[in-house]
Amino acid sequence: MQGVVISDVIVGILATGVRLLAPFLFASLGEMFCQRSGVFNLGVEGIMMMGAFADFFVTLRLGNPYLGVVMAILTGIVLGLLMALISVTMQAPQGISGIGLHMFCWGLSGLLFRVYVGFITTIEGFKPLPIPGLASIPILGPILFQHNWLVYLSILLVPISAFVLFKTNWGLKVRAVGVTPQAADTLGVNVNAVRYQCLMLGGALAGLAGAFLTVGQANMYADNITAGRGFIAVALVYFGRWNPVGILLGSLLFSIMNSLQLWIQVLGINFPYEFAVILPYVVTIAALAVAVKHVWAPTALGKPFRRESI
Amino acid sequence: MKRYTKVLTAAFVLVLLIGVCGGFVHASSKVRIALVLASTTDDMAWSQSMYEALLALQNQLGKDKMELVVSERLGNPVDAGAAIRQYADQGFDIVIAHGAQFQAVVFEVAEDFPKTSFAYGSAFKTAPNVFAYEPLAQQGAYLNGMLAGFMTKTGTVAIVGPVESGDAVKYNYGFGQGVIAANPKANFRIAYTGSFGDVVGAGELAKVHMDAGADFLSGSAQQAVGAVRACAERPGVYWMATDMDQSSLAPDTVLAAQVYHWEKLVADMLELRKQGVMGGKHLYLSFVDDTLEFRISPRLADKIPADVIEKIEKAKQEIIDGTLVVELPTGTK
Repeated sequence: MQGVVISDVIVGILATGVRLLAPFLFASLGEMFCQRSGVFNLGVEGIMMMGAFADFFVTLRLGNPYLGVVMAILTGIVLGLLMALISVTMQAPQGISGIGLHMFCWGLSGLLFRVYVGFITTIEGFKPLPIPGLASIPILGPILFQHNWLVYLSILLVPISAFVLFKTNWGLKVRAVGVTPQAADTLGVNVNAVRYQCLMLGGALAGLAGAFLTVGQANMYADNITAGRGFIAVALVYFGRWNPVGILLGSLLFSIMNSLQLWIQVLGINFPYEFAVILPYVVTIAALAVAVKHVWAPTALGKPFRRESI
Repeated sequence: MKRYTKVLTAAFVLVLLIGVCGGFVHASSKVRIALVLASTTDDMAWSQSMYEALLALQNQLGKDKMELVVSERLGNPVDAGAAIRQYADQGFDIVIAHGAQFQAVVFEVAEDFPKTSFAYGSAFKTAPNVFAYEPLAQQGAYLNGMLAGFMTKTGTVAIVGPVESGDAVKYNYGFGQGVIAANPKANFRIAYTGSFGDVVGAGELAKVHMDAGADFLSGSAQQAVGAVRACAERPGVYWMATDMDQSSLAPDTVLAAQVYHWEKLVADMLELRKQGVMGGKHLYLSFVDDTLEFRISPRLADKIPADVIEKIEKAKQEIIDGTLVVELPTGTK
């Protein structure tokens, strides 16, 4: 702790935690829509990898990270569509389809990187965008208002997602097809169409999560850049009880714990690093175990929809 | 009819003989090497350093004299074991499993293929047909650490480590000793990402180190490239590379590098095989035979005072002479 001011450390822990939040929030919110509609997409990790590669490649070639983000989103939509085709239209088991999609994307992103780039190189990502007037507020400024725009967007997506899910007609359809698809179908809701839309939205947000890794954090691309973050995002959907606010709380807890363990190590606090690196997982699992005693899940989750014939 | 049969039989035997002899000629004239990697050939670190060395050796010997095949992304020892066994089964002369985590599977497969040489590292345990190899990473680490210790303005020097094992342990200990030898008052910090390949995590750890005051950073394994990039974002912060010269990633940030030259080590294995030695040797990369290189970035060399360079050269010579021994933690060879 030599030469370090405690208040700076606390601000540092929280600011880093907020910065680490974005990829989890993007991917978890997208997965929440998928699961709310009854489809369990374990391919999030793979879609993130492809999103990260698409963003990196476009940014590298065109020098424009905004176009990279657009390409990552489009890539995510296409992969979401693929997942929908496999799991909704062809009604393949969702768990294994997602794993298959992940493996496919892992291989494909590595192959494309090898063929079209061939070596590790760097790109210019997004710089921090301090919000005028707010960024200079003591303590709160550095924690909340000195990040790149994708971090702000990820947080903004929480109320937007809540509004869409709970206050719009489309959100009502999503919730209906995830709980009682037969009833929704009887009322004229096209169950499969809603599931397709959710998987495409989930894919778009997973692609954006991948884009954040390349232009918002690492400013480069490397094989397996996601390093399991997509799977954590899936777990955070359960933690958040399929609710955007719950997902925000779960993501915050995980990110701040991750930040805390980094600071514990950096400050040389006498704590075995092996325990430090697993701290975010242990705390999140413990919180999940305590908080989700009476877990509610979309009742049609994981079940392909088949219209009953008379 | 009998005559035709005799002619056909003779021709068949001749073809067989030519084929067999051809096979012997092929087997004796071309060495076949298989490389099994946990990451990829373009990781700018541990795996790429070995791959490039083997390519250089192949260029030196000629493609007609050396065959090289590579399997990547086999971080899981079980998958790697399947690949190692398959290569041995296909008659490869040397199978290099480039990682300490492959020790158990290498020993298991090696028992079944006594005519194949296996190699793995960083490690020291050998078998009659298993070579163990390791870079004396602590040597270059010490020089990297010295340079950081002399040059730091904030007085804080930090390591972005992967996992506390193998090469990383030697590197980190050597680096820390170098820092303290140059600057006894320096604040030396080590932290780990818990992963060899998480470049994003390494970048974030580097940012936290810098937020906490570090201005000279270093670290090993393929995850380190993420930290190099993060350092490049902050003016006045420098990175000390290992495994490879990573200055192409951040030319104004990578001040020096410890570079591994595996070519000679593999060439030594080939020579030993010619002498009938299939394994059982523990091979090193070190400053003594120039298989380790300490390289200061030509682009940034003018930022280093002449007396600092002189002290580092002196320390290097003392390491070569054996008058300076970089200590390692108990239990680490």
